[in-house]
Amino acid sequence: MHMVEAMPTVELISTLLIILPFLAAIACYLIRGSGIRSIVVLTTGGVLITSAVLLIALTPFSLSPQPFRGVSIHVMVQTLDFLLLLIVMYFGFKNRHNAIKGLAFFQIIFLLYFEFFLFKDKQDTSTLYCDHLTLVMVLIVSIVGALICFQAIPYMKSHEEHLRLKKTRQDRFFFVMMLFLGAMNGLVLSNDMLIFYFFFELTTLCSFLLIAHDGTKQALKSAVRALWMNSLGGAAFIVALVGIYRETGTLELQRIILSGDIGAGVFLLSLALLCFAAFIKSAQFPFQSWLLGAMVAPTPVSALLHSSTMVNVGVYLVLRLAPAINGTFLSQCVALFGAFTFLSAAALAVGQSNGKKVLAYSTISNLGLIFACAGLNTPESIVAGMLLLVFHPIIKALLFLCVGAIEQHIASRDIEDMRGLYADMPLTALMTVMGVIMMIMPPFGILLGKWMAIEAAARNLYVIIMVALGSALTVMYWARWAGTLMSDPFAGRFKPERQPFLTWEALGSLCAGAGLLSTAAPWLYTHMIVPTLSRAYPPPYTTQNGILENPYGVFAVFPLSLVAALGFVVAIWAVKKAARARVVRPYLSGVQTAESGVFTGPMNQLVKAEARNYYLSSIFGEKKLTTWINLGAGVLLTLMVGGTL
Amino acid sequence: MIKWLIQKSRIKSPWLLHYDCSSCNGCDIEILACLTPVYDIERFGIINVGNPMHADILLVTGTVNHRNKKVLLNLFDQMPDPKVVAAIGSCALSGGIFRQAYNVVGGVDKVIPVDVYVPGCPAKPEAIIDGVVLGLQKFSQKREEEKSRAGRSDLRQF
Amino acid sequence: MIDSAVFILIGLAVGPLLGGLVSGLDRILTARLQSRIGPPLWQPFYDVIKLWSKEKTAVNVWQAFCVYCYVAATSIALVLFFLRSDLLLILFIQAVGAVFLAVGALSSTSPFSQVGAHRELLQILSYEPLLILVTIGVFLETGSFKIERIYNWNEPLLMKLPFLFVVLGYTLLIKLRKSPFDLSTSHHAHQELVKGLLTDYSGSFLALTEIGHWYEVVLLLGLCSLFWATNWIGMIVIVVMTYLIEVLIDNVSARLNWRWMLGYVWAMGLTLSMVNLIWLYTS
Repeated sequence: MHMVEAMPTVELISTLLIILPFLAAIACYLIRGSGIRSIVVLTTGGVLITSAVLLIALTPFSLSPQPFRGVSIHVMVQTLDFLLLLIVMYFGFKNRHNAIKGLAFFQIIFLLYFEFFLFKDKQDTSTLYCDHLTLVMVLIVSIVGALICFQAIPYMKSHEEHLRLKKTRQDRFFFVMMLFLGAMNGLVLSNDMLIFYFFFELTTLCSFLLIAHDGTKQALKSAVRALWMNSLGGAAFIVALVGIYRETGTLELQRIILSGDIGAGVFLLSLALLCFAAFIKSAQFPFQSWLLGAMVAPTPVSALLHSSTMVNVGVYLVLRLAPAINGTFLSQCVALFGAFTFLSAAALAVGQSNGKKVLAYSTISNLGLIFACAGLNTPESIVAGMLLLVFHPIIKALLFLCVGAIEQHIASRDIEDMRGLYADMPLTALMTVMGVIMMIMPPFGILLGKWMAIEAAARNLYVIIMVALGSALTVMYWARWAGTLMSDPFAGRFKPERQPFLTWEALGSLCAGAGLLSTAAPWLYTHMIVPTLSRAYPPPYTTQNGILENPYGVFAVFPLSLVAALGFVVAIWAVKKAARARVVRPYLSGVQTAESGVFTGPMNQLVKAEARNYYLSSIFGEKKLTTWINLGAGVLLTLMVGGTL
Repeated sequence: MIKWLIQKSRIKSPWLLHYDCSSCNGCDIEILACLTPVYDIERFGIINVGNPMHADILLVTGTVNHRNKKVLLNLFDQMPDPKVVAAIGSCALSGGIFRQAYNVVGGVDKVIPVDVYVPGCPAKPEAIIDGVVLGLQKFSQKREEEKSRAGRSDLRQF
Repeated sequence: MIDSAVFILIGLAVGPLLGGLVSGLDRILTARLQSRIGPPLWQPFYDVIKLWSKEKTAVNVWQAFCVYCYVAATSIALVLFFLRSDLLLILFIQAVGAVFLAVGALSSTSPFSQVGAHRELLQILSYEPLLILVTIGVFLETGSFKIERIYNWNEPLLMKLPFLFVVLGYTLLIKLRKSPFDLSTSHHAHQELVKGLLTDYSGSFLALTEIGHWYEVVLLLGLCSLFWATNWIGMIVIVVMTYLIEVLIDNVSARLNWRWMLGYVWAMGLTLSMVNLIWLYTS
């Protein structure tokens, strides 16, 4: 592979992607005026988007920054790491939570052991490494992240008005958001596991601070839970790091992956622990409660951390490690576990009526599917995993932002309260329905990924059964939501509601971007995914005329997108014609009145016909099902980690 | 050609909505008997859909009173044009033997326009079938003048 | 290129024509089983033309969008079938149609449509995993998802996939809206929840749901024919026999409820699929 030597532009872009957000964060914290702060956020977002796009031309590259004023990067990061762990310990004391204290202490001890007894600094490590997988992650973090921060500006303003806050807390909010963007970029760009670990822990801390942002008791409780669970992940990570260093003598991710040292033993166990940490980060069972609790945070937080970027860290890590665990029992376990999560989370989502919780379970479900793809470890499944990795954050962010806008309007996040939302907020309702359509239907990207995953999983009996069941459950809860939104008395003229410009801009860009990217999926495959693959797996598909094809399957992306667009135009024409149809009220056995949904009841009293959705709580109820699912997940995890010994 | 096809289809595929205003159920049983294997009106393509939005022919039995006249009107208005109304049995024609009761409005034609009157108490299935066939001929001839009723609201004030 | 265009046209035309004929045969057969005579063979076409000529009434405009998407999806799925494309993709596209039908019904506030739509979603939940597993079974036996390869397989698939064919039979029962699974709406002469999910569609929109349904029926019968694709007689026999059995089951069984449907179809379907798939894995 052609490696680009450390050119000044590469260093500049990396600095912009990682360091600039940190500086912007400090600026946001110190600046008093909200107008100037917004400008800082907008500028930083713009620079991030530009840098990410410029990165496309520079990929792939590998970079070792020179020591800064005589202090090597490694030493700087180590110091910051200890500082970070001490901050976590401080929060543990402040909230009187023993698990946090214990885990932070444990990590400090292990880090000290590693630093002073094991580590020998080598000069020829490449600290940053960017291949196309990293590029894709950087693009998502920067573009989707920036758009979410843009939307956060009017959202937080309105949010604080609702809460009638006397003193604005937006300085804290944007400080942590910017910090987080920098941490994510740093995480995906880093090749040095220790730096990865530092950013890993930093994202945990950011998540904690953002969940606790509103300061209510519920928020604090959820934040503390997120902190201790993610600290458990961090502890597993540092143990794994020690194990890996002892076995391979290097901390470079790329070298570790290519290490031929596979077999039972400490190395494989360490990889299993890394997978374990990844599962916790991605809120897989039985650690999903932190993500569900995190839904109390303001919606931009949910959109950014808990659907698009932070939870993607886990899947990113496992996709990276996939070549290293190819062919092992560990890989099988990861596949089984991922499929199990996909199915269980979909089942739990069917029983939910809280919109944000449905989105949370859907996120967990899709991440489980990506884990299953990574675990299956065939070229097709890796491609499927990467496609899902690209499309899921965009659409999920869109859906979260829509739900946020809806919540601010109707003061509820329950799907039942969104019934007939089209009458009130037509454009937002339509965008939510578009998002739902893009989640479950061809020719859009998520279904392309699912199709590939099913074809890849066909030879694995347990995985395919769970994926088939989960896929059907997924359709059910999304279709139910889409139908509820559009439940409407006769819709006359389409008049879009008023929303702040930045909100429309964020929603519109995400919606249009997801649609266009779906059509460009073959291009995405050839230029972004195949370059990552060719090191470990032969490219499985040919793309000719925009049709993805391999010896036993074919998905005509481009022709189908054209046909879908044509069908959409025809359907819109039909809508226009139907607008001139005679209005009739829905059938209510002949006793309907002029008002939709109201009928003449006993004693000539007017009665409102109420409909509620099926949530099937007797089968898919959260409380009952969660216990069994957690048990099953625990068994699978024990199997996974124990099986490496 | 198209017109001929449409007319033929209308004759060949009449869908019924059967509404019992407040009948003694005698005429209703006779109507349902038409659907049984003895008379088998499905061989004419007739289906008893329960939904005015799918129906072409409205069969009304029983006396219209002050309560069910609103329901009758609602159902009639929900039916898309062209449509045919058949009043079955004496009670639907004029109120039958209940004509003088204080709550009875009278025959169906006091509320909605009727196209076919089928007498009897109860009306025999053969008569009902004859009535529906007569109604079908009218149905196939209803043309654009029916469409002029489109655009008005689907509820009349009482 | 030219033959692709021809196949597309054939697919678009054959769907309604063949589907309407099958629907007409269905009604005659059902009538004869009930000691009646039944309507003429062309009855479904008369129905559709009559419906199309009715006045345009609508509950809301979103229904129009959903109905057109439904017909578009099912027709595209059938065309792809004729073009011998990927079986799994065809299933997913057909599912798009089914979802749009349910979403369109959910958009009406009448309880009949609402309950009908939820039952339809439960029906989709019941059959979709099984349909995917049948496709996987076909893949394991023939090594390909592409219909081109499956049609040219040198052995009738029914030999190696008997249980999966039974599972396909369950799916067909549900999709054809026949007892005991006709919960969300029942086919022609029957009523369930008045007309269930189709209650608030009328006129040309109802005609379109019927046409969409015909495309689906032809697609599913085409899927059945894949199980004996070695010669023409085999294909016709298997399709005819399957359809006769479906009509028979419809006439002898009563409609049951969604809990039973979900439990029974998943239990029987998953067990049968697993057994057959394990056979295929070990062979």
